[in-house]
Amino acid sequence: MSGREYLGEFEHIVILALLRLADRAYGVTVRQEIEARTGREVSIGAIYATLERLQAKGYVKSQFGDPTPERGGRSKRFFRVTAKGILAVNRTHRALQSMTAGLGLVRSYS
Amino acid sequence: MMTKPSLVQPPPLAIWLVDLFTPDEEAEAIQGDLLEEFSEQALKTGVASARRWYWRQSVKTIAHLMGTGFHVAPWSVAGAVVGGFLLLWLGFGLPERAILAVLDFRSQPHVHPYYTWPQAQVRVFWLVCGALIGRLLMSLFIGFIVAAGAKGREMVATITLTLIQGVFGAVEFLVWSASHRYAFLLMPVITPFGVSIMIVMGGGIVRKSRSAAARRPSGT
Repeated sequence: MSGREYLGEFEHIVILALLRLADRAYGVTVRQEIEARTGREVSIGAIYATLERLQAKGYVKSQFGDPTPERGGRSKRFFRVTAKGILAVNRTHRALQSMTAGLGLVRSYS
Repeated sequence: MMTKPSLVQPPPLAIWLVDLFTPDEEAEAIQGDLLEEFSEQALKTGVASARRWYWRQSVKTIAHLMGTGFHVAPWSVAGAVVGGFLLLWLGFGLPERAILAVLDFRSQPHVHPYYTWPQAQVRVFWLVCGALIGRLLMSLFIGFIVAAGAKGREMVATITLTLIQGVFGAVEFLVWSASHRYAFLLMPVITPFGVSIMIVMGGGIVRKSRSAAARRPSGT
């Protein structure tokens, strides 16, 4: 397993949000998606800090859209998950599944 | 999702602070996202609540940007901080020495070896106030240098230097106050506090001038 990185908890959540949002994924929608699905209030700074880290690892790519008036003429920065990022999500999922298999967590705590 | 352009603006101080801590490459997206969501919040929950939300987001965002600064550019930040600390340490006594040199040059102690009472008062005044002003100006200059060395992470570097300097200042004050009970008790408090403010101010000036320069060509 050496040399293979697993996603951190928040990295995992952010990548899953990007996958859910597909081509609508930018700071506002990612933040709102995470807040709606996890009930956790996150800051836009936390989203960008994580996205920058994921981009540095090659798991996400970004591109600027057109400037819009409701943003004071500023552009949206859209993010999408790369093939390497999808591999990392799958690897992390498999590791989590392997670790939780047979523990009966859903039955015990739900 | 449709949002109308809102006439209501977020708190200007919060905008200014976020801008101060945001690297140029992220500034447009972060400020735009915050403004877009602020407009949505203002329509949904009212302006006062939206402003509270904006402040909460700004404070958390600044904290995250500070942390990211270390991760993204640890060596340039650390180098700038260490360099700034050495400059502070090496230049600590310079203002006093410079003022003493000027006072000695003016009073010519080799000709008049004794001070009159007014002369002594003037000398003490310049040594105390002049040294404080000199240190503050020197700290501002060091803030410029540290910020210049930590390109894109100016505020992270200057605030880190300030925190380190603050710890040393507190220790110095404790040592000093144990041995000097009465004279000029405020000076050891004012000096480190003022030095910290001037270092951060130096970082802020460099940051703002850099972000203004970065926006100028693309603003057309």
